Amino acid sequence: MAYGAAAAHGEHDHHPTGWKRWVYSTNHKDIGTMYIWLSFVAAIIGGAMSWYIRLELAHPGIQYIDDFQFYNVLVTAHGFLMVFFVVMPAMIGGFGNWFVPLMIGAPDMAFPRMNNISFWLLAAALVLLVLSTVVGDGPGTGWTVYPPLSNANYQPGPSVDFGILALHVAGASSILGAVNFIVTIFNMRAPGMTMHRMPLFVWAILVTAFLLLLAVPVLAGALTMLLTDRNFGTTFFAPDGGGDPVLWQHLFWFFGHPEVYIIIIPAFGIISQVISTFSKRPVFGYLGMAYAMVSIGVVGFIVWAHHMYTVGLDADARAYFTAATLIIAVPTGIKIFSWLATMWGGSIEFETPMLCAIGFIWLFVIGGVTGVLLANAGIDFAMHDTYYVVAHFHYVMAIAAIFAMFAGWYYWIGKMSGRQYPDLLSKVQFWVFFIGVNVLFFPQHFLGLAGMPRRIPDYPDAYWGWNYVSSIGALITAVGTFMFFYIVWYTYRSGKPVTADNPWGEGATTLEWVVPSPAPFHTHEELPVIGSGGRPTTQAAPAE
Amino acid sequence: MLEKLKILVPFIALGVMASPIAASAEEGLAKPWQMNLQDAASPVMDKIHDFHSLLMVVMVGIVLFVLAILGYVCFRFSAKRNPVPSKTSHNTLLEVVWTAVPIVILIIIAIPGMRLLYFHDRAQDYEMTLKVTGHQWYWTYNYPDQGDFEFDSIPVPEGDLEPGQPRLLTVDNRVVLPVDTNIQVLITADDVIHNWAVPALGMKIDATPGRINERWVRIDKEGMYYGMCSELCGVYHSFMPIQVEAVSKEAFAKWVEQAQEEFAQNDGSSVNLVEAEQKSR
Amino acid sequence: MKNSGQKKKTMTAVMLFSLVGGMVGLSFASVPLYRLFCQVTGFGGTPNTEAVALPSEVSDTVVTVNFDANVNSDLPWAFKPVQRKVKVRLGQESLAHYTAANVSDQPVTGTATFSVTPYKAAPYFSKIACFCFNEQTLLPGQEVDMPVSFYVDPAILDDPGARDVKLITLSYTFHRTDDEETDKSSAKVAKASEVDRNGG
Repeated sequence: MAYGAAAAHGEHDHHPTGWKRWVYSTNHKDIGTMYIWLSFVAAIIGGAMSWYIRLELAHPGIQYIDDFQFYNVLVTAHGFLMVFFVVMPAMIGGFGNWFVPLMIGAPDMAFPRMNNISFWLLAAALVLLVLSTVVGDGPGTGWTVYPPLSNANYQPGPSVDFGILALHVAGASSILGAVNFIVTIFNMRAPGMTMHRMPLFVWAILVTAFLLLLAVPVLAGALTMLLTDRNFGTTFFAPDGGGDPVLWQHLFWFFGHPEVYIIIIPAFGIISQVISTFSKRPVFGYLGMAYAMVSIGVVGFIVWAHHMYTVGLDADARAYFTAATLIIAVPTGIKIFSWLATMWGGSIEFETPMLCAIGFIWLFVIGGVTGVLLANAGIDFAMHDTYYVVAHFHYVMAIAAIFAMFAGWYYWIGKMSGRQYPDLLSKVQFWVFFIGVNVLFFPQHFLGLAGMPRRIPDYPDAYWGWNYVSSIGALITAVGTFMFFYIVWYTYRSGKPVTADNPWGEGATTLEWVVPSPAPFHTHEELPVIGSGGRPTTQAAPAE
Repeated sequence: MLEKLKILVPFIALGVMASPIAASAEEGLAKPWQMNLQDAASPVMDKIHDFHSLLMVVMVGIVLFVLAILGYVCFRFSAKRNPVPSKTSHNTLLEVVWTAVPIVILIIIAIPGMRLLYFHDRAQDYEMTLKVTGHQWYWTYNYPDQGDFEFDSIPVPEGDLEPGQPRLLTVDNRVVLPVDTNIQVLITADDVIHNWAVPALGMKIDATPGRINERWVRIDKEGMYYGMCSELCGVYHSFMPIQVEAVSKEAFAKWVEQAQEEFAQNDGSSVNLVEAEQKSR
Repeated sequence: MKNSGQKKKTMTAVMLFSLVGGMVGLSFASVPLYRLFCQVTGFGGTPNTEAVALPSEVSDTVVTVNFDANVNSDLPWAFKPVQRKVKVRLGQESLAHYTAANVSDQPVTGTATFSVTPYKAAPYFSKIACFCFNEQTLLPGQEVDMPVSFYVDPAILDDPGARDVKLITLSYTFHRTDDEETDKSSAKVAKASEVDRNGG
């Protein structure tokens, strides 16, 4: 392809090699790659924790974990790791860094050095978080860190402080990254790449970046208050000094609910690209899709107290939060139906990324309908803090997001590494993982309905059956996970080289598919000019 | 500090309180392989059951609908069967429909949902009050209308269970409440946030230090109802069960007489107050 | 053009960072704002504590006020309401009493937090004078009477949500506010009432 050939001149640029290439990197592709590897490392740690939890819960009674503080630490660290160090780095830092500049025709991110510090802050945060679990007793507070349990009286030692610091640093990393994305998307689109021609993945990252920008500072403020409560005798959240522990919950969930969308909106973006590519059709209802994400983001800020129905909010407040939460089902419904409509009339190739996208829709729909149930404050009294909630949020954000990550990785690995994943093995991996997570999480709905509380290392004997099934599911999921890492290793080592710029054919219309595979170190140095449909019209336009 | 607590907490069985009633009519706890909500024993839980049944129909309907479309699309529009993709990229009518229909469904859900929410909140003509205080890691119950007696409810350790007593759910002194009585439940906590939850009664409310929460309950059937603390409250979070025994009003009156003797009286006279407090410290 | 592009990027970034700064500020501002919000709306069971003039009319409707007392286990006090329940007419000023006694051999300082349930009734529950507004120091064995003067606003009858309330619970929790360590060294006992680390 003529345009790609022109861009390939970038190859002649010299850039640092060896460790300097990575540590000093200001290149969006290298930084993106590092984010993805960081996410892999965190996924192995966080995954191991979850398997240990499921191992303990496979049978009633205490099997392996007789230190219950340690159990609580596992629960806490699993949550932190998966949210802040697996899903966010992979989707925003990893795929976002790699493909936002490529998709909008920008040579790199707006602030490459800031990009570098974002990554290394996150790496430092990961170290701090892992340290928090090994110094002292570990943070046994749950990822929600509710005071007074997280106060110094009840969690003495430096663990919770380490955890808070880890979140501060990770938050700073997220904010820098978010600013970088917004500036890049607003100012560095190639000529002709109007906002309404941007691929949906770019829209997703833009919305996510704004959510980060508005939500993370609130968490930072709340964490700072908690830190001074713990160490300097303030009483923001301590009832004995006139503080209110419920205020923490308001602040935490004011961040925490948008955080859920920070995780899932990039997934929406990836799934939209994948479904459009493999159905060989443009995304159905593009504008509706883009603004559905925007409205999910906006409404996400006014529903936080649906996490707090049992703290003792008065009924009118709960009625409001119920209504506001139900409204979110409308834009999410638009997304689901638009994906289905994109497939309808398409010519669907069931490549592995597409399988993962279909898996995503299934998981997201199940998690979505239970979300509509949980939105109702009236019935939430039966579900709050039970495994029903665990099942719900794992379906809707955790494993749905993981399938989006699989989809993204399989979809883009040819572009990122120049090698293609092994086809048959990746399909087997999809099925193993898909069956595994459903066996793992579906029975947890039953446990929750029957009243089993979350975050307990031992449960009444009646809950044994479904817990056992769930643990078997965890085992299958573990097999699927190791298969995935084997595929990663295999692909880099001996995957089939990708020679074409665009291995996916006519459906792949976004700009990353007009540059060579693997994408050279520098791309879009000469800005492409974008025509209707988001495709380059001319070979190259003068950049300055 | 944790080490010390570990020795203290698991289960200082007092074994004082004799059960006033022999066999219970109703067992309010989960059954093996249970897939649905626990049987309702209060009006609130009754209504939760009804609402859940409605929601199940809606949820299963939506899931099956999406699944059917997904299956059909994957079959009919696979590259083999449909080599030439259509290029339509929007259809305003369709988009309006799939925005409007979910709104209608949500309204159908919201109306009974709101009704249930305000049913929880309706003030009752209370006949008595139960005061619940959460501690790390046991509950204290107080009966202000029956002479203000108070007792701690401590889990029975596994080794001391009698046959038929469920593990992790049995306590030494259970809450005894009369059936068919409007009971005001006041809940607070002494240290961290706990949550007093009894699934069969539709009861679940945070016990927050420094503030009080109120719920009402009316138990329909005599029986034994179990629950567990439902807010992470520290190391022994999973070992602070709630056991409620619902008895007839007559049996309750008898139990109150016994209990008043059994448990230290706080009769409000101030001199005694100081002495009693000093004794207990 | 490159320069102006760079400038634009910097401008955008500056704007975004000020947004971040604003959100951090907002999270801290939420502490006083939340308190204010609770006081104004009765949210979270916060009763009305503004010294308001008594309503001119006294309604015939009677509600029961239930008095509840809690002592945090760090505080060696006995604290009980003198009367368990009082029936009051709406709009009528009433006086209720609690007693508190220090059962330790040290002077101890405590402050009370309070809430009113059901929450929907809280904005109509007005406390005119109350011990909870001040820190209290009790000498060893000292026992004090703590009066609360309050009324229930007849406007509750005009609130369709709260009209059904017939039992209002007023609850106090006493917390220790002096430093336990300070307290244990008898030399500093006299200062106990001055020690106030709760400015935040």
